[in-house]
Amino acid sequence: MVCCGKRKVTQEEIFCSPCLPKGWQRRTKDDTWKADDLRKHLLAAQSGIPKEDKKHREKKLHKESEMDLPENKEPKHRDPDRDTKYRERPGERDSHPSRDNPHGDRDREKQRERKKDSRDRDKERHKEKSREQDTEKSHSKGKDRGDKDRDRRARREEPRQMAAHHNLLGRQPPDRAERRMGAVSKVRTEEKERRDEDPERGDEERARRYRERKLQYGDSKDNPLKYWLYNEEGEKRHRKQKEPDRERKHGEKSSTRERREKYPKEKTNSFSDKEGEERHKEKRHKEGFHFDEQRRQSDPDRRERLSRDDLEKRESKSSEHRRRGASSRRDPTGSREGPCALWYAENLVRNNGRDKDSRGKHSREEGASVWKLAPKHGREETAEVEKEDFDSESAGADEYTACFEDDFEDYEDDFEVCDGDDSSEELEAREKIEELPLARKKEIQEVQQAINAENERVSELSCRLAQKQGPPEGERDSKTGAHGSPPRTPVCGIFVDFATASRREKSRTQALKQKMRSTRLLRLLDLDFSFTFSLLDLPPVNEYDMYIRNFGKKNTKQAYVQYNEDAVDRDIQTEETETRGVWTQHPAEGAAASGGSGSGELCDVATAPKVDTPRLSSFLRAACQVIAVLLEEDRLGPEPGWSPGTQDGTLPVSDRSSQLNTRLPFLQNRTVLCLCASRGQRQMVVSVHGLPGAPFAPALDDRYVLCVWDIWQPSGPQKVLICESKVTCCCFSPFKAFLLFAGTVHGSVVVWDLREDSGIHRYVKLGDCFWTLRTATFSTDGILTSVNHCSPVQAVEPVSTSVYKKQSFVLSPFSTQEEMSGLSFHVASLDESGVLNVWVVVELPKADIAGSVSDLGLIPGGRVKLVHSAVVRLSDRLSHTCFEFWGATQTLNVKFLPSDPSHFIVGTDVGLISHGTRQDLKVSPKLYKPQQPGMRPVKVNVIDFSPFGEPVFLAGCSDGSLRLHQLTSERPLLQWDGSTDGHAVIGLHWSLTRPAVFLAQDDTSCIYVWDLLESDLGPVAKQRISPDRLVAMTVVGEAEKANGSFLALVLARASGHVDVQYLKRTWAAPVADELRKLQLLLREAL
Amino acid sequence: MTSSTPASFTTGTADGLPETEKNAGESENTYILRPIFQQRFRPSVVKECIHAVLKEELANAEYSPEEMPQLTKRLSETIKDKLKEMGFDRYKMVVQVVIGEQRGEGVFMAARCFWDADTDNYTYDVFMNDSLFCVVAAFGCFYY
Repeated sequence: MVCCGKRKVTQEEIFCSPCLPKGWQRRTKDDTWKADDLRKHLLAAQSGIPKEDKKHREKKLHKESEMDLPENKEPKHRDPDRDTKYRERPGERDSHPSRDNPHGDRDREKQRERKKDSRDRDKERHKEKSREQDTEKSHSKGKDRGDKDRDRRARREEPRQMAAHHNLLGRQPPDRAERRMGAVSKVRTEEKERRDEDPERGDEERARRYRERKLQYGDSKDNPLKYWLYNEEGEKRHRKQKEPDRERKHGEKSSTRERREKYPKEKTNSFSDKEGEERHKEKRHKEGFHFDEQRRQSDPDRRERLSRDDLEKRESKSSEHRRRGASSRRDPTGSREGPCALWYAENLVRNNGRDKDSRGKHSREEGASVWKLAPKHGREETAEVEKEDFDSESAGADEYTACFEDDFEDYEDDFEVCDGDDSSEELEAREKIEELPLARKKEIQEVQQAINAENERVSELSCRLAQKQGPPEGERDSKTGAHGSPPRTPVCGIFVDFATASRREKSRTQALKQKMRSTRLLRLLDLDFSFTFSLLDLPPVNEYDMYIRNFGKKNTKQAYVQYNEDAVDRDIQTEETETRGVWTQHPAEGAAASGGSGSGELCDVATAPKVDTPRLSSFLRAACQVIAVLLEEDRLGPEPGWSPGTQDGTLPVSDRSSQLNTRLPFLQNRTVLCLCASRGQRQMVVSVHGLPGAPFAPALDDRYVLCVWDIWQPSGPQKVLICESKVTCCCFSPFKAFLLFAGTVHGSVVVWDLREDSGIHRYVKLGDCFWTLRTATFSTDGILTSVNHCSPVQAVEPVSTSVYKKQSFVLSPFSTQEEMSGLSFHVASLDESGVLNVWVVVELPKADIAGSVSDLGLIPGGRVKLVHSAVVRLSDRLSHTCFEFWGATQTLNVKFLPSDPSHFIVGTDVGLISHGTRQDLKVSPKLYKPQQPGMRPVKVNVIDFSPFGEPVFLAGCSDGSLRLHQLTSERPLLQWDGSTDGHAVIGLHWSLTRPAVFLAQDDTSCIYVWDLLESDLGPVAKQRISPDRLVAMTVVGEAEKANGSFLALVLARASGHVDVQYLKRTWAAPVADELRKLQLLLREAL
Repeated sequence: MTSSTPASFTTGTADGLPETEKNAGESENTYILRPIFQQRFRPSVVKECIHAVLKEELANAEYSPEEMPQLTKRLSETIKDKLKEMGFDRYKMVVQVVIGEQRGEGVFMAARCFWDADTDNYTYDVFMNDSLFCVVAAFGCFYY
């Protein structure tokens, strides 16, 4: 350690303080006395030792003066010598601590100023030092004992030592006394004496002061001075220590020096006494006894004085040295010893030069006698002693040169050694230790161990301190410690303490500064936790991968081959679309809800569906009609052979024609008696066939046959009806053509219910086909004889329901509206005798297959019957009114007014048309008369009301005249007499499509087409039907359909054929405002 | 079973305390709170540097438990020195080197810092071969 670096040697001398513990620690290692140190130490020692020397000499003097016997001198001389030794020892003991303590005090003062903390430690160190000094003493004692003589002496002296202790304090008064005595008895030069006294006194004073200080906390007079001195030096030191490296070296060297110094100090203290003794002996031997005393007295005095002077001089010198050293340190050699050594060397040379001659023989002898006693005493001692001598000699005292001659050689040797080897000293020390007795050794070792432990502790502490201050701090400290802290010279622990203190201070300030800095910085900054950076995420390898990694690569090699890289193939693929038919149906038709080409069988699997029989039958009825019509139409085309006649038979007035198939076996040779068309269903036509000309089938030969046709199905009749009596007239039910009424020549009214099941009728196979021949459902033959017709029925007319609205609810035994609408009508029948019967059509709610007992005339299973409602006898009225002289007038036909069904008009055979009501009410024109006045035997063959609601009717007469009557006037509006060339008009029909058109037929099979708008003078067209004579004619047609309106003439030929002539469009298609024009015309005609 | 992972830390200041700091302490604050832009700790550059070193040093290194401690120390030292040369002024560099043996075990390594994210940064690089993996993390802390 470099803790005691820059301490000046002079300071050590001045304070002569024990070494620092640190210094002590390593003393053994590098203890080597440098000449410089030695000298200084000597100087320091002189201040203490010579005193004692003096004292002891004085005592001697006392004794000598008392005894005055040369013979006794020897033994007595020895005794006081021993005494002095005794005294000296305690003195030493005292003086050391006393010396220490003042220094310590001073140190403390300084410390107090600089650092009060380290005081305790310092104290400790001081204690240690004192302890060490003790050990040193023992050490030196040990060494002493190494000398046999001294051992012996010591043994002898021991008891005395005890006594001497007591004299310690009371030493001074005898000293003074001696001095006085000395001054009186032996006077050398006064000057010298005076000179001697001062330093002596100074010394004594100093010693006293030490003691005093020891007692009272050591504030002395010279303290400030010394302190001042010290401070100065310290400052100097500080200044100098700014060259760190060199300083450090110096520090080390000086420290070693100082350490060495301490060690020998004690030795020298003890040895100097011995030497003194020896010298005395020598001197005594050499010189005369007289001189001896003198010398004794003066010698120490002078020595003391000299040393004092020297000390002072040297102090100044050394300070100079220091200054010089500061400058000289800059040269590479740089050791502080340099100048000192040089200085010494100079002295040496000087002295040597002076003393060489006198040195001569004695030196050898004495060297042998004295130095051989303590061969191991170390050259230090001698060096010290010689230094002393040098000093005194150099001061200019030549008298004693002879005494010191012998020392010079040794000194030279030592000097060399001191300059050179450091380790030699160490070796010597060890040798000394080895020489010591075992018990002693142990002691020493123990003490050393204790010291080492203490040192370790201290060093640890300092280390810790340094660590606390941080490594850079430590480094800096090691650097700055060189200048900042006082050099760790062993002279005083103060400086080390100061160093640590300052270091601490520094570190503290440093820490404070850093703290400040950190707080300031932290105000400006804000630290934050970063995200956790994932540096490495190495997932564990699974077993398989591990295996593959370890073994999988063995004997395998990855290779890649690619060939035919540029062979590019392009292809377009279009495949034929596969199709498949699939069907599905909701709701499912039986079990088959879906099917297709793939599952065609499913259709066959279909089970018999549930059939809603009545619905199906009604559907089938309607559907079969439609289908039959369609089939008929189809058949018309491809059967040229069947209808060539029709093609030919198309009349000029018609666009086209068709022929009803009357070539049926049961219609063979039968002529058509009459034709009748339904008003409700315009396409329904019934043809009445008379008895056959040639027998065909016995069952039918005597029966009249009625065929119900649908003109759209000309291939065959819809129904075939048979009637036993000759049918004179017939008509359909007004709205629906499901009932057919007919009047017979026998005066009976017959009803056919066309809805009846064919099962209740005769089923006859005629030719290839089976035919159902229906007999009448109800016939009035034989019943109601009181009211029934007695003459052939001339006309049967339905009375439309609208007329009987008021009564309908009265006469409504029918449940359903349909039947009501279908059946709520009356049928009126008129016979030749002028009896008009009104019949009510009644439908039985339940058919009785067995036949009804009450309802006579009803076919078993039939449901429709006629109930007689009213009878109007027209013959009476006619005869009463105007035909008084005509016998009975024949009524030929009857028509009910479409606007008021209670009114009717009846054509007569006298050319008059009677107007009457069913309730025998009076009507305004009783008769409609022709324009010709008077009665004429002219039959009014046909009467027809206008179907368009106009209150006009046409009447055709047998004289070939046509009359257009208005209901309100008796006379006709128009009358055409010669339009048919006098041929009787047997047929007259208003057109169903055009209000102003009507068709007429005369008995010469001519057809006349009238268009009143075109011409009201005569027919616009006339068509003679020949060669097949026209027998009967009726008009069918529909005006409802705008474009499908047609007007057809159904013509029955004499040959039995029935054909349908479709009139030309001009007469069929309605003209705009035709009805209004007609009305205008009729008004004009009025 | 376990791969030993010798790790070594090397700390070094790219630049010591500036001398001016002592004097400036009392009178007025001359703190440098942000590094000069060119001297910022740039992870990409540092990473390259680390990568280069690792590539060079560990090119065909085999894991051996005896050598790894020295290797980690050497690596950290070399990397630290290189980083110092790169002139990140006033940056304190911390270089951590971890070398472990590749034996198939899973390894997860993470770092977390309490620092001033504006100035301080870090980067890391991983070197792996069949026998070992080496993770080097370099942290640069700005010395205000």
